[in-house]
Amino acid sequence: MAQNINPHYASSSNPAKQNEDTIKLKDNHAVSKRLQKELMELMRCADKGISAFPESDNLFKWIGTLDGPMETVYAGHKYKLSLEFPNSYPYAPPVVKFVTPCFHPNVDTCGSICLDILKDKWTALYDVRTILLSIQSLLGEPNTASPLNQQASCLWVNQEAYKKYLDEFYNKHRDS
Amino acid sequence: MSQSQEDLKLYWNKINYAFPILNDSVFTDCSIADYEEIHGIIIGLGIQVKIRDLVLIHIEKYLRQHVAPLFWSKFTKVEEEIRGFQLFKSAVNDLYESVSSFAAMLRRLTTLNNTCNDSKPIYGEKDVTLGFKQLLRATLLSQLPLDFHVIVNHFYKVSFNVFDNEYENPDIGEDVMCSGCWNDFSECNCAYIVKVFHDTNRKLMELQLLERLAGQVLTNFSQVRIESHMQKLCSGSFDVSHMGFLDVWLETTVVSWLTRIYCAGSSKPPADDTYIQNAISKFRQKLSYFMHRSYTMLRIDQLFNIIIEYPDSLPAVEDIRIGLQMTDLRPTLCKKLQSALETRLLHPGVNTPDILTAYISTIKALRYIDPSGVILETVTKPVKNYLRNREDTVRSVVSSLTEEGAGCELAEELAKFAAEPDADEDKDEIWEDWVPDPVDADPKGNSSDRRANDIISMLVNVYGSKELFVNEYRTLLADRLLAQSAINTEREIRYLELLKLRFGESQLHFCEVMLKDISDSKRINALIQQEKSIEELNKKFTSSAMILSAQFWPPFKDESLELPEEIKQHLEAYTKSFEALKGNRTLSWKPHLGIVNIEIEIGDKKKDFTVSPFNATLIMHFQNKPEWSIDELHQVMKVPVTVLRRKITYWQSMGLISEKSPDHFVLVDGSDPNKGSVSSNQVQDMICEDDEAESAMASAHDQREGELQVFWSYIVGMLTNLDSLPLDRIHQMLKMFASQAPGTECSLQELRQFLDTKVRTHQLVLQGGMYKLPKN
Repeated sequence: MAQNINPHYASSSNPAKQNEDTIKLKDNHAVSKRLQKELMELMRCADKGISAFPESDNLFKWIGTLDGPMETVYAGHKYKLSLEFPNSYPYAPPVVKFVTPCFHPNVDTCGSICLDILKDKWTALYDVRTILLSIQSLLGEPNTASPLNQQASCLWVNQEAYKKYLDEFYNKHRDS
Repeated sequence: MSQSQEDLKLYWNKINYAFPILNDSVFTDCSIADYEEIHGIIIGLGIQVKIRDLVLIHIEKYLRQHVAPLFWSKFTKVEEEIRGFQLFKSAVNDLYESVSSFAAMLRRLTTLNNTCNDSKPIYGEKDVTLGFKQLLRATLLSQLPLDFHVIVNHFYKVSFNVFDNEYENPDIGEDVMCSGCWNDFSECNCAYIVKVFHDTNRKLMELQLLERLAGQVLTNFSQVRIESHMQKLCSGSFDVSHMGFLDVWLETTVVSWLTRIYCAGSSKPPADDTYIQNAISKFRQKLSYFMHRSYTMLRIDQLFNIIIEYPDSLPAVEDIRIGLQMTDLRPTLCKKLQSALETRLLHPGVNTPDILTAYISTIKALRYIDPSGVILETVTKPVKNYLRNREDTVRSVVSSLTEEGAGCELAEELAKFAAEPDADEDKDEIWEDWVPDPVDADPKGNSSDRRANDIISMLVNVYGSKELFVNEYRTLLADRLLAQSAINTEREIRYLELLKLRFGESQLHFCEVMLKDISDSKRINALIQQEKSIEELNKKFTSSAMILSAQFWPPFKDESLELPEEIKQHLEAYTKSFEALKGNRTLSWKPHLGIVNIEIEIGDKKKDFTVSPFNATLIMHFQNKPEWSIDELHQVMKVPVTVLRRKITYWQSMGLISEKSPDHFVLVDGSDPNKGSVSSNQVQDMICEDDEAESAMASAHDQREGELQVFWSYIVGMLTNLDSLPLDRIHQMLKMFASQAPGTECSLQELRQFLDTKVRTHQLVLQGGMYKLPKN
């Protein structure tokens, strides 16, 4: 399942890239300030089931964790995500991807997510917390009309079979 | 031919007659006139150089084979001192005699040598006599036996005993024994010993052997004397300086004594004898260094006590300061003082205020000894580390800062700082007084910092942050303000102003508000008391409130206490009139704080008490019902049973309540006073730990714990997303991302402790050095 490893995640050990990031960090004082504030807010609220924290010293790359929403087929699952903030944040959305492989109609095999607020519907009013909450609710209510994962989309109708397949998929991949 | 051979034989005999040494003998009756003839013969034969060399070789041989072994043969290892004395004396005498017996022959040899024109040095010396002495010394010392010092020691010990006696205590007449020679006075042979002593010394001096044979012994004796004198000096108190008199003492006692030895009894060296003068001045230098060193050493050994007695011991401190400049004892001082501090001060048996007092004295004394502050820095490092681990350090410092009366140097220090805030700016200007840092200074440190640090900032620096101090001061101030009914705010304001000078306005803003609260509440209280509704209530009892701004006061200890209904109504009325007076604000009562004046009437007796609200409530309940079980009280007062049990001892000790059966209390009837007094005796001990001493504020430790809780959410966030992290990584992350959060600084040490408590409560898992959240 090598292709399921997030390329951003894998390249984070690349020193050249790291260096570039730190330079960016310096340039974008306002952005890091906003991110710092968001982090503080997130820590203060401590919502159940969602969480995120900078991955290393770099404030522009976070790791998020979300629990599958209760009373859905995803209940009891735990997914890790990577969030990467562009320099133009919050005027441009962050790139959010699943790190834990996720079997879902709107998530492709690379972990990319098809969610409108991460694309054209993005506004600067959203923040890490709302993104994570939106993705959490997307798990329970997929948009089967425009699927990235055809198989999941087809299977969604049959919740019981879907659950069975999903659990198998989750148990197989969660440790990778 | 045979004639000349005959002649030669004759000549040879004559030469032998003049220089009997050629036949291994010293004795001859050759007169000067005889020698002149022989001398003529030698010159006539032109063999003066040969004869001279031959004689010298024979002298050397003779000395080696006869004189030296004879001399050293006396140097046996004997036990009795007096025998050693005799042996040494006879050895020196014999040596001296045999040397003198050479005199005539040497004279002849000198004459002979004068006719040899080769100007060859004789054993390194120009003169025959000097060369001979040189040869003698060389020969003697080349055969030096191992134990030679034994009888030398004996000799000098006996002599010095007498000698000291003669020159130092001439008036010791009561003893039957002469303290000099340990004989009865009737047969005291001190005079003899002294005579022999001087005689021997003179002979040795003449042979130039005194230094070599007796020098070490003399030095040892002098050192022993110096040391015992120093011991005597140092055994007293520390309030006399001795340094200035030491040199005089050395000159008048030890050196003059040495001079007497060297000069056979006279107290002044002969002006023309440079050899003796040199020897003595060398001795003086050596002994002066030794004296200062041993004096300073002894003082250093006592330094801890000296410091404790500072500033009474200032003269001793001054002595050490001078002593350090003359000797190389700085590292010794650091080491000794450090270990003294560690063994005598830094253990759990010492109270924190005592440690602080000692620390302050140390700072003062060491600053005097070493103005550069390097020693201070080195020595007090363990003290600082230790104080950091004591929980009540800050409290002690703060309370001594604001205490009035004797023994609170810190308060004085604070006032002093206020008086001359910019004194040290001028100091920088005097560039001529600049001295470089000592070699053992830490090059990383700033020397001016080290010098300028005053005592308060050194104490504050124990923790590295002013905030902790300010917080503690706030707590202390709060306690004090609440504990007094009539508050002397003026004094507090004065201290606050002093502290502001040091810690800055912003830090102490809260305290200012607190003080203002006090004066405000006086005013508000007066206003409310005038209200009609309150006046009505006041007929029964009066109340006055302290109104505190919750934002600015330190958090109070959370204690619940249900007040009696009557009181509650009263307080509610008070609240209402407050609300009327100050719109949009209300009062939230802290029922467990404050004081109550009550009058208790039992039988025909009346007693006045000033007690805590808790105790007042307790006794009030007994007003309506004389018998309560502890559970009932718990129901009414809503206070934990354990606390109740503890507090009720107060009334037990007053003899008003007694425990009828376990956990069952009754009001003591006033008609039976005996019963009360008996029980009071029993419980007397219990109330020693009276609740008045307790602080109403949450302790600094609790507050800090609260601050660290802020980090907890960050730590959880971190570990949820990044699985597991080592301690330093967590610390680093917190520093980076949680720095805006209140509570700010958190040392690695503190974080470790905090995380360890979390591990203990199973909120964290520590696995192979990595912290993790437990799986739920």
